[in-house]
Amino acid sequence: MPDKSGNAYALTILSPIRAGHLDEIAYADVVRSRLDAWNFLENSPMARVPQTYLCRYFVLDDVFTQSLGGGDVFGTWQDFLSIFSDRARRRALPHEDHLKSRYLVFSCNFHGDLDAYLRGMWLAIGNEIRHAWEFCYAFDQVRNADDFVAYMKKCRLKASLFFVGSNDDPLDEQLKALYLKQEFGKFVVAHQGVPAAQLQQAYRDFIARVEPANLAGPSWSPGQYRLRQENQ
Amino acid sequence: MTKILDLLDIQGNVIKAYGRFSFPCARYLLLRIQHGERGRAFVAAIARQVTTAVTWGDGPGQIRKPLATTNIAFTFAGLQALELPEASLRGFPPEFVMGMKMRKAILGDNGPSDPEHWDPVWHGEQVHVFISINGQQPDYLEQRYQWLLGLIAQSEGGVSLLRGHRGDHGAADLPYQEARAVMENGKLTSKEHFGYTDGIGDPVFEGLPGSPQRVEGRGKQTVQGWEPLATGEFILGHLDEAKEYPRAPAPLSLARNGTYMVYRKLHENVGSFNDFLDREGRAYPGGREQLAAKFVGRWRDNGAPLTDAPDVASKQDWDRRFMQAAPAEKDRMLSAFTFDQDADGAKCPFSAHVRRINPRASLQTTPGAFDTPGALANRRRILRRGLPYGEVRDPQRDDGNHGIIILMMQADINRQFEFVQQQWINYGNDFRAGNDKEIILGNHDAEYPSRAVLPVPSESDAAPYFLRNIPRLVETRGGDYFFVPSMTALRMIAEGSVDPT
Amino acid sequence: MSNIAGKAYAMSVITPVRWYMSWINKLFFWVAQKRSSTLKGLVTLSLIHYARWVVIGRKQFPRLHPDQPQEDLRYSYMLFFSNFNGSWDQYVDSFTFSIPSGLDLFWKWNIRYPRSVPLTPFHEYIRYNQIEATHYYSAYPLASSNDVKAAKKVAQALAGFDARCHDAEPEAFLKNYHALLRDLQNDLGDMRPTPIVSMSAQQVEKRRQRDVRKEQERLAAMGEERKHA
Repeated sequence: MPDKSGNAYALTILSPIRAGHLDEIAYADVVRSRLDAWNFLENSPMARVPQTYLCRYFVLDDVFTQSLGGGDVFGTWQDFLSIFSDRARRRALPHEDHLKSRYLVFSCNFHGDLDAYLRGMWLAIGNEIRHAWEFCYAFDQVRNADDFVAYMKKCRLKASLFFVGSNDDPLDEQLKALYLKQEFGKFVVAHQGVPAAQLQQAYRDFIARVEPANLAGPSWSPGQYRLRQENQ
Repeated sequence: MTKILDLLDIQGNVIKAYGRFSFPCARYLLLRIQHGERGRAFVAAIARQVTTAVTWGDGPGQIRKPLATTNIAFTFAGLQALELPEASLRGFPPEFVMGMKMRKAILGDNGPSDPEHWDPVWHGEQVHVFISINGQQPDYLEQRYQWLLGLIAQSEGGVSLLRGHRGDHGAADLPYQEARAVMENGKLTSKEHFGYTDGIGDPVFEGLPGSPQRVEGRGKQTVQGWEPLATGEFILGHLDEAKEYPRAPAPLSLARNGTYMVYRKLHENVGSFNDFLDREGRAYPGGREQLAAKFVGRWRDNGAPLTDAPDVASKQDWDRRFMQAAPAEKDRMLSAFTFDQDADGAKCPFSAHVRRINPRASLQTTPGAFDTPGALANRRRILRRGLPYGEVRDPQRDDGNHGIIILMMQADINRQFEFVQQQWINYGNDFRAGNDKEIILGNHDAEYPSRAVLPVPSESDAAPYFLRNIPRLVETRGGDYFFVPSMTALRMIAEGSVDPT
Repeated sequence: MSNIAGKAYAMSVITPVRWYMSWINKLFFWVAQKRSSTLKGLVTLSLIHYARWVVIGRKQFPRLHPDQPQEDLRYSYMLFFSNFNGSWDQYVDSFTFSIPSGLDLFWKWNIRYPRSVPLTPFHEYIRYNQIEATHYYSAYPLASSNDVKAAKKVAQALAGFDARCHDAEPEAFLKNYHALLRDLQNDLGDMRPTPIVSMSAQQVEKRRQRDVRKEQERLAAMGEERKHA
């Protein structure tokens, strides 16, 4: 099923936002500025949602009308008709299309099962979810994790093609692997040319420090965007 | 399909690397336009002596090789000062309008390369005009220079020559940047101050005069073999690799046959280089010269490419064949190599200079994955001109006056020069090297000490060798972005008759 | 707002497709999933973390409440979400040069899609239909897709090596260590913050850092006030 590729899941959520306003600001614009405010926090609230690889939020105001020149599979037919009918020529321009509601779009790539992920999200950042989704239709009925899961499934769109460029491992494995790559790289460079016995001892100390098998041990934290001093 | 270029309309320094044509000395001058009309009159006078790209010859109807060459280019501010119409000015690309100094974050010109350390000539008033003179001998160079000074005087304040170039013995107020080929044992060489032979792999594109064999190694690598690159990658007004005309200002006659030039003065930290080479050379299993070859991807003495001569034994064999080869074959041996047999970088490391600035077809890591093998590299090629400057008096010191002046010609500064500088020299993701930088040109610093891996063949017993704490070997000391107009455009600019209506 | 999270760039594109043509799109996507050769170019490019295409039928926009007006659209829409490394220009260029045929397959049935060669109309098409992300998150801003892939290889190789050689004799240890290094020689690139991708992004980042600092100072000051209140 195309939403999943191995253990990676592509979740696409379109939540319709109510028409209406808060202090003369349209609900949809309030949603947008609430989401934007997340950019000024120490780190994204999504860093606290387990198994989140990469995700984005935006508000879809309207669809675009594609009136720029381009190829068209019916182009030749339209051109032919246009010889006989001026109306046909003018109708070849794409129609103007508009949405009646604005949508909160949440596009997320994560590891694992959908229900478990959504529950984890509700548990970790319930306040932020309620804050962002406050003005969406039918969200006032969402009181708990079960309601949230049901609500999101109604907002969900299926992907037609999901391409995984890196891998579908659990997030903590990916982060641990990145940590090990960084640390081992530094170890290798620092111990170049060291004789065998000394190297082996240093290696054992290294392994004891980085604990490769322990996912809960030292690692990169989700959303970490600075190299920590001691890791440099 | 043989394309013919209007060589009389293109400036000579675009098509020819004068150094190779026996013009081993040069002066680069920077000027400011003080008065629009008198400035234009000055440009008109210069234009009469500007060297075109025409093929020189002594036969009837041919143009003889001049004793000295003259070429001219303008910054955006310079074009404004010459009162080009606003609508034309607005058609120039944003990076050219901003100028190189303001792009320092993109280019990685930080620390010792920061503009605050550049030669004083770049600190004062904004540079408007670049004029280069090359001479077959120093006397001819001086004569042309005096002629130029005469024209400046005649402009009655219309233009002024900017001083502030640094030179020998701590001079910091020189009226021009001197450049000349490095001499070794009284003979001219094409080396630079780290000891490497430079300027071998200049791109070959459609319409470029010269023997067709030169396309091998210099054009683009395709499934059928080597082919010339599209002209529009280097000259405006011609189709480029994307099958369209490169974006250009209006009107057509302003842009056509012109190009953009990136001028950079690159100081070489000779002391740090020698120290680094000595230190690592003692530890490196292949020895000092092989290590030096790994930095660049070519052996220092004769430029033998590492992909064809990866170690001392194969180098000796290569040398033997090279010495017996005719000049055309010598040229082919130097440039016609690929990375096709070097997928893991065991011959030429991924962080070596030649691999980073022109990966050829090696970014197509799975055969047949792209529409053409060189897809990711064909639009990142650059014509390189210029000469070394200064001289190394003490190879243990960094603070002498020595480096190279590089003039890079391309149709799109952002897509070509800036991309290579930012993504391939100061960063390594496209080479699967994380943040590792190019060894020679990378902006290494102490905050995040640089490393580079020199891989070994997977079937060997050895361990890969890691260079560590790579010092910053090259520092930017000045530069800017210039527009090199065609002869037609130059005459129109001088007339003040550019009109995009 | 930001399309950038460290080394990752978020591209979101929405394009109209005739509702009765959307099935062809879905067919091509289905074929692409089954035939690995279709995506070979994308895989080799190696720039993408995750990417997806979603086709929304013109009657398939979620409707959750009777008060919500029914959408009345002529066209169906295709959403493209990509998480990639490098700059926008580099990414879109690579589609034009590396895998144009693959790309044309996915967008061909969209209204007035200009084909991916030559370049400028395709650039225009993407820019015209692109929506910026208000908030973009990456779990590893310091890592590109290549870094994530290399990291998995390093972690697995290190685990295997450790199991075999942790307690080996020093000489055997050294020999195997060298073999390990040969195996991983091109996977140990250093990871650090990305080079900036554009001047505007850099300005926004500077302002953001200044605002984060101000916010922290404000919270700290409030904390102080409360202490003394």
